Amino acid sequence: MNERIQNLKQYIVVEKRHHALRRSGASLGLNELAEDFRSAGMSAQERAGKTIVATLNAEIPVILPNEKIVFTRTLKDIPEYFTQAEWDEIKANHFICEKGEVFNLSADYERILNEGLDARKATATKLLDGATDEEKIFLNSVIVSVEALQDLIDRYALEAEKLGEQDIAQVLRAIRGGKATSFREALQLLRIMHFSIWIAGNYHNTLGRLDQYLYPFYSADIDNGKISKEEAFDLLEEFFLACNKDSDLYIGMQQGDNGQSVVLGGRSLSGEYMFNEISEMALQASYELALIDPKINIRVDSKTPLEIFEKGSELTKIGLGFPQYSNDDIVIPSLIEKGYAPEDAHEYVVAACWEFIIPKYALDIPNIDALSLSDCITATLPDLPTCATFEDYYALVEKEIQMRANAMLERHKNIYIKPAPLMSLMSDCAVERKRDISYGMKYNNYGIHGTGVATATDSLSAIKKYCFDEKIVSTQEMVNAVEANFEGYENLQKMLRTQAPKMGTDDDYADSLATRLLDSFGNAFKDFKNERGGCYRAGTGTAMYYVFHGKGYPATPDGRNKDEVIPANYSPSLFLENKGPMAVVKSFAKPNLKNVANGGPLTLEFDSSVFRNEESVRKLAMLVRTFIVLGGHQLQLNTVNRAKLLDAKANPENYRSLIVRVWGWSGYFVELDECYQDHVIARTDFIL
Amino acid sequence: MQGTIFSIEDFAVNDGPGIRTTVFLKGCPLCCQWCHNPEGISFKPQILIKKNGEESVCGKTITSDELAEKLLRDEKIFQLNEGGVTFTGGEPLSQADFLLDVLSKIRPRIHTAVETSGFATSTIFRKVVENVDLVLIDNKSTDAQIHKKYTGVDNTQILENLQWLCNANTPFIVRVPLIPTVNDSLENLEKLSDILKDAKNLIRVELLRYHKTAGAKYYMLGKEYKPDFDTSLAPKTFDTFTKNKIKHIIL
Repeated sequence: MNERIQNLKQYIVVEKRHHALRRSGASLGLNELAEDFRSAGMSAQERAGKTIVATLNAEIPVILPNEKIVFTRTLKDIPEYFTQAEWDEIKANHFICEKGEVFNLSADYERILNEGLDARKATATKLLDGATDEEKIFLNSVIVSVEALQDLIDRYALEAEKLGEQDIAQVLRAIRGGKATSFREALQLLRIMHFSIWIAGNYHNTLGRLDQYLYPFYSADIDNGKISKEEAFDLLEEFFLACNKDSDLYIGMQQGDNGQSVVLGGRSLSGEYMFNEISEMALQASYELALIDPKINIRVDSKTPLEIFEKGSELTKIGLGFPQYSNDDIVIPSLIEKGYAPEDAHEYVVAACWEFIIPKYALDIPNIDALSLSDCITATLPDLPTCATFEDYYALVEKEIQMRANAMLERHKNIYIKPAPLMSLMSDCAVERKRDISYGMKYNNYGIHGTGVATATDSLSAIKKYCFDEKIVSTQEMVNAVEANFEGYENLQKMLRTQAPKMGTDDDYADSLATRLLDSFGNAFKDFKNERGGCYRAGTGTAMYYVFHGKGYPATPDGRNKDEVIPANYSPSLFLENKGPMAVVKSFAKPNLKNVANGGPLTLEFDSSVFRNEESVRKLAMLVRTFIVLGGHQLQLNTVNRAKLLDAKANPENYRSLIVRVWGWSGYFVELDECYQDHVIARTDFIL
Repeated sequence: MQGTIFSIEDFAVNDGPGIRTTVFLKGCPLCCQWCHNPEGISFKPQILIKKNGEESVCGKTITSDELAEKLLRDEKIFQLNEGGVTFTGGEPLSQADFLLDVLSKIRPRIHTAVETSGFATSTIFRKVVENVDLVLIDNKSTDAQIHKKYTGVDNTQILENLQWLCNANTPFIVRVPLIPTVNDSLENLEKLSDILKDAKNLIRVELLRYHKTAGAKYYMLGKEYKPDFDTSLAPKTFDTFTKNKIKHIIL
């Protein structure tokens, strides 16, 4: 990291001096927009365009000292374009996912970089000819949004000139309308487009395969002698740093949950492994900056060289909670099976956390709902005594899963998504089709998280072994013990917790039940079509549901007490004893993960002492590769130090930069709500 | 044949090359004051009591067939990752017949290593060394009196075995637990370097710095951790090895 970047980091991340420049929308009169729109009887599409114009107009150009890549948010909040009453009415009549925005997508940055804003605007303008009124409203919402963005670029250029920053001004003038013609222009335009979709109210805006779409600009500059490798690295590092400028304003469940994920590497359709110099620089920049954004993912497969895993492990070692790895061998065939064209499937990236999505072409909602598999055990447990065999009981569980899946299909009907002119501009063909992205794209699939996989599997194992195979616990006794939260059944509980077969110990008894359970989960959604013609994809992520589904959740047959936390994502029970990382990896690679590849990583925690030995980095790389070779789909690792976490909770002021992996993203520990802090600490009790 | 073990840990990062599983054999004739696996000293299974009163049994007997079968399950993983199995303890050479029986069942399919204090008869020592792929041999002190005082046993046999190992065909690593004021002296490390100077198959010397957590498990055995040295000190390190062309690493 050179001095310039170091100073910028100090300014942005440590001192956060640019925060002082922020103004509220209310102070600028933006809060009245919705009421104005309502009284003018304006359509949602028109409002969306006008709101983008108003917010971009309210932005003032800010160039921070030593910056080369500009654009900083000065508007604290984004105005609503529906009044509360209007929104309540929409909610009453529709299914709304999260905030009702287009979100959790990977926009088509590549096209904007390669064509430029003028060309995209011209496409929209040309299409006005012969368009219906409705189409015109859409196209105009895109055109006015682009123009407002270009105005803001102009104001930035003027500000740069005023400050004597001719280089910045020149870059801005070039990309105001034109395509990017250098690596620096590409990064500046990327920054502007990323900035613009956030301020348009879209969120969890990922950065996708940045190494792939930036590489042509980099290599052309290198070939022409326009830039040195060091200069390019300096710019990329600044771009990464810029991802941390406004991220505290971005919407998420928790601070840090902002979805700025980057995906590196990956196998191309022709079989080439696409890890280039930008991929390498991205890892290096992350390593040096040691910040939570952007969040690095690496696409790997069984043939990926160990060296790549080693580079990734260097980041794990310093405790960033990323990279997260995904396995092309599993993910790509799974996506193809779900109906994605092979050429699109090979372009997959991850959404905010880990859901696999396709950039440009999709309006997938990969986190539309969550099904608690452990809850399916809880719901069917009272009927356990009516079952003569384990098969009888398992049939009840399977029926319960199907019933819940059916209910979801019903629930997701009549969805409403707010129009998004800029996201439409940055998609493959919403503009060409003269229809907002919110109405759907080439792919409109829904993803369902499956929570409590290990808790459910371990419960099934315990029931099968003790109630049916060995018959040493009667089904009624099991029900009574769980209902009593094991009070008066302490010996039984001890046996369930410490001796019953558990997922994560490389025990086929438990692992085969996990395979079966996940097959049932995947199959429950297999023939579903949503109202947009998309399919359903089951997955193994939990998002924040691991906390929601844990608190107040009754005891379970695996010996878990009421209220005791369930593991995050696709991970072993928190009270698993003597678990070795290799056993965990082997167990969790056994199920048919292609059937449940919506996304959701095996999450492993390591104590920082593992890395006292430099050679451990390579060994960790081997462990990760082994999971991939064995057919695992996704993996994230966390390096933590329990004593440090406890001290940080007590003295947050000393640990402002301490990073942990939460569920699918890395955040600053001291900025998390207590329940998430406690879960991270609880996980270290059972560290590998 | 049966043996007694007290733990099997996979992904052991400090016990040899690649991804390894470490098998802990129970029982040790030494009682090093800094021992961080005190539950490995007694040859018999024993009860551990945690702070919350929870009891667990430490140690179990296992047949060589059972153990070999368990280890062979990961054969492919070891091969993929330049790894294997390391037998440690306790003192694995104290259950030499069992150890050799297990080794015969898993070699050459699995790369094997033994970590030993070197405290064994030369017959046993040589036989084991000739039947493993790698030896990790500890050297607590080259000084007879210090060795006796802090480990409870004489080091004559240990040094004799080490000297023999220097001329043997099995690759080996020498590990020194550096204990503040006990063996972290220039003199001790000079002497060790001299012994190892012309060793045929020495890979490297690993200096393992003492850390306080060594005492963490004593209470579970109802014992107090009261070593006869200042546990708050950091051990000193000296490079007496480079001049003799010996690689070394501080862990």
